[in-house]
Amino acid sequence: MELEELQSAWTQMSHQLEKQKELTNEIIMEMTKEKYRTKFKAITNFEKAGALVCIASALFIFFNIPKLDTWYLLACGLIAIVFSIVLPILVLGSLKKIQCLDIVNLSYKDALLEYTKSKTKLLKIQRYGIYASFIYLMAFLPAIAKILNGKDLFLEPSTLLWKTIVMAVFLLIIARWGYGHYKRVTSSAEQLIKDLE
Amino acid sequence: MAKEIAFAALVREHQGLLFKVTSIYTDNETDREDLFQEVVYQLWRSFDSFRNESKISTWIYRVAMNTAITQLKKRKRRPDAIPISESILIHSESGDEDFEERLRMLYKHIERLDVLEKGLMLLLLEGKGYKEIAEITGLSESNVGTRISRIKKKLKTNMIKS
Repeated sequence: MELEELQSAWTQMSHQLEKQKELTNEIIMEMTKEKYRTKFKAITNFEKAGALVCIASALFIFFNIPKLDTWYLLACGLIAIVFSIVLPILVLGSLKKIQCLDIVNLSYKDALLEYTKSKTKLLKIQRYGIYASFIYLMAFLPAIAKILNGKDLFLEPSTLLWKTIVMAVFLLIIARWGYGHYKRVTSSAEQLIKDLE
Repeated sequence: MAKEIAFAALVREHQGLLFKVTSIYTDNETDREDLFQEVVYQLWRSFDSFRNESKISTWIYRVAMNTAITQLKKRKRRPDAIPISESILIHSESGDEDFEERLRMLYKHIERLDVLEKGLMLLLLEGKGYKEIAEITGLSESNVGTRISRIKKKLKTNMIKS
């Protein structure tokens, strides 16, 4: 099949499409309104749900700060609060940037460039977020154990150790999967950016 | 109300164009319909800001293609989704087997292109000149020429292989 044949198939399809005017004014306006409504329903995605959980846990620790009665447990609590707030803010900020792309005024090249850069930045934040969650885990576990059970895990090193190991293994699996995904997406994205700039 | 009527007339007039753009960037009918709706919504949002500085089709291509970029990877193939090449055939209902086969091949080749190449290929197939392609894509005319000849080579290689 030659390029000219592809072109003629496309032209033939264009002619056939021209003959079919299926949409009515009512369908078009209903389509527009429906999309407007679903824009506001689309809040329930993973990132936003995750952010809500993080903020809820930060608030929970914050309101139970008085229970963290040693300097190291207090430090763990504060670290956990900072991580729970900063990471979702960074992720949601990057997501917002992608969603706010000026699709009307940007050229195709610039839109593609902006989108690819924002997407890469988001993936980078998510990747670092996975690594940062190891630190978060180390701070969160002792703080939450003290708040919920009144236990100071630093006085029970074996419990702290096995709980940390179980969660670290879980995180490691996620991190490995995330890294593979990150590598695949960003290598093609970086190539595209290089090609366009 | 007058605005709604004018907008609906514009979409009706260019629905073939929207159909083609949305089919290039998706691989099944469900996603194509979803992208079509998203493009119509984005056109409605920016309808007021459209100033007759460029051709209306240039504006539509730009909004549609840029919207398609932002929707990439968001969609996943659903089990009941109809592959795009089949949906095109249903839509065209020509009964011409040779044409249908060529259309299938065309979409198969387009699927193998990356997102930038897809955009250029679309405009090339639409019969746009390098100047207009440059205006829509933001690339220089000479860059458009270079990239298009690269795409042609790539297509030729793919065609020989298949």
